[in-house]
Amino acid sequence: MRHWLRIAFPKSYMDRQQRAGFLFVLPALLFFGSVFLLPLAQSVMYSFYRIAPGGASQFVGLRLYEKVLTDSTFWTAIKNTIQLLLMSVPTTVICALAVALGLNRIASLKWRNVWAAMYFLPFATSLVAAALIWQWIYDPVYGFLNYALSFVGIPPQKWLQSLFQVRPAIAVVSIWVRIGFDTMIFLAALQSIPEQYYEAASIDGANPVQQLRHITLPLLNPQILMVCILELIFNFKMFDQVYATTQGGPASASQTVIMLLYDTAFKYFRFGDASVMAVFVFITLLAVTLVQWRIFRKPVEY
Amino acid sequence: MNSAAPSRDLSPHAALTVRRVYFRWLTALAVACGAIMIFFPFFWMAVTSLKTAPEIQRVPLQIAPDHWGNLSNYIEVFKRAPFLRFMLNSAIVASIAAVSSLVVSSLAGFGFAKYHFPCRDAFFLAIVGILMVPFQSIVVPLYTWVNRLGLIDTYMGIVAPDLVSVFGIFLMRQAIEMIPNDYIDAARIDGCSELRIFFSVILPSVKPAMATLLIIKFMWNWNELFWPLIVINSPTMKVVTLGLVGFTNMYFIEYNLLTAAAVVSILPILLIFLTLQRWVVQAVVMSGLKG
Repeated sequence: MRHWLRIAFPKSYMDRQQRAGFLFVLPALLFFGSVFLLPLAQSVMYSFYRIAPGGASQFVGLRLYEKVLTDSTFWTAIKNTIQLLLMSVPTTVICALAVALGLNRIASLKWRNVWAAMYFLPFATSLVAAALIWQWIYDPVYGFLNYALSFVGIPPQKWLQSLFQVRPAIAVVSIWVRIGFDTMIFLAALQSIPEQYYEAASIDGANPVQQLRHITLPLLNPQILMVCILELIFNFKMFDQVYATTQGGPASASQTVIMLLYDTAFKYFRFGDASVMAVFVFITLLAVTLVQWRIFRKPVEY
Repeated sequence: MNSAAPSRDLSPHAALTVRRVYFRWLTALAVACGAIMIFFPFFWMAVTSLKTAPEIQRVPLQIAPDHWGNLSNYIEVFKRAPFLRFMLNSAIVASIAAVSSLVVSSLAGFGFAKYHFPCRDAFFLAIVGILMVPFQSIVVPLYTWVNRLGLIDTYMGIVAPDLVSVFGIFLMRQAIEMIPNDYIDAARIDGCSELRIFFSVILPSVKPAMATLLIIKFMWNWNELFWPLIVINSPTMKVVTLGLVGFTNMYFIEYNLLTAAAVVSILPILLIFLTLQRWVVQAVVMSGLKG
């Protein structure tokens, strides 16, 4: 308290300097307080109220939680989201790691940059455009994918219109968009590993596989953790691709949590139900991040 | 393609070198194949956008368009939907977001990096903690606020949640921390005010970080769909992602037009990205934040 008073009524030059520092930070604090923290608190509050179309609200306790959490559409969305996560997160991370290891071995800097740029290109594309391109590739009649598969004797598939293929098909879009991003993170980390480690290891007779297992991967641990969390969050919040292609269909087979949240809030205007989902999303992501942090976190020494 | 490979890396194990060179070539080949696969959808989009409606429905499928110079789809896209307007809207929104977050973030970054006011570290942690709050979980109250303030269908409404970015504060703090304190003290001895120090000492030394932030923020906002979808109703206020979704819903089988529209919507950002790629990569590497 005394500190704050001295900042409000500065007596010395140092006080004034501190005040300047605080004033520099103030706009950001006000912004995040009003645009993030206040709405977050309101989300929690809304989840306890039933809001009638007229605007009158009534406290209903945990009634909305009970309603949403016993609703089968909600659990379908959760199940779909988890399936999408399981398909896309490991694939993206492993592919990105492989690509980064490969790129790192390309000696010609010029070619390395060219290939890296190609992997990175989808990252600059909007998810809407990406979804549109893939929708065209997946087209059951005129799509390129079925055309390509016809050469190996596979009959035309329905992809986005099939109950079982729609989720893998959408997962592929996410993987395609995200590989480059993860690759860049891994590549930068790989380039910061001192060359001497590998020289020492090869003098000791370690083959490339052993070097990968005992030098590269352990040193990449922090980045792998970070990328896993980022991918998990990204895929958990999947919306754009689904909205632009299937809108949750066919028969809710690609309904994701955020898609459901959007529909509940802005199609059916059930703000209370949507707020329950919002709280759920917040808590889940928080928990996942914290848990993953604890499991993976190991001290790393360079 | 990889001519430098054999001459480099002459390890003491001469017998292994030949195998290594082969391995290197194989790696390069695999990387190249992967890159081409990743690039293919772009190629396919561009090619489709040059075809006519009967051409894309041809069986068996034909890769190349009949006329490589057929730009009629592009003309048709601009005729059917005001894509120039959409792009202008996107450019305005993304520019406001980028500039505003640059100003606020560099101020805050300076404050966090170089001053010792009470609760500084707690405030910084709180701001970084914001990254854990998914935007989707605050969207309903945010919408009611924007609605109440009459900001639906306005530029201000679209940019409101994007005016400041946590990533930006993080990035600027990191960059400003590198500036030696002696510079700042020297300026103080010369009689500079704190704000003057910010403009004459700090900003000129962190130009790369500023460029990085501007570009990445512009890109993110150009590609944003979720929030504009909620706050924009009128056709003239649509941003380009929204315009593209609307166009898709309207002409959902005319892929020659849809791909042309997709090309139009991503071309500006791809050009920016390709020319300024170095900065974007740096932004990603700097932290890969943005949850």
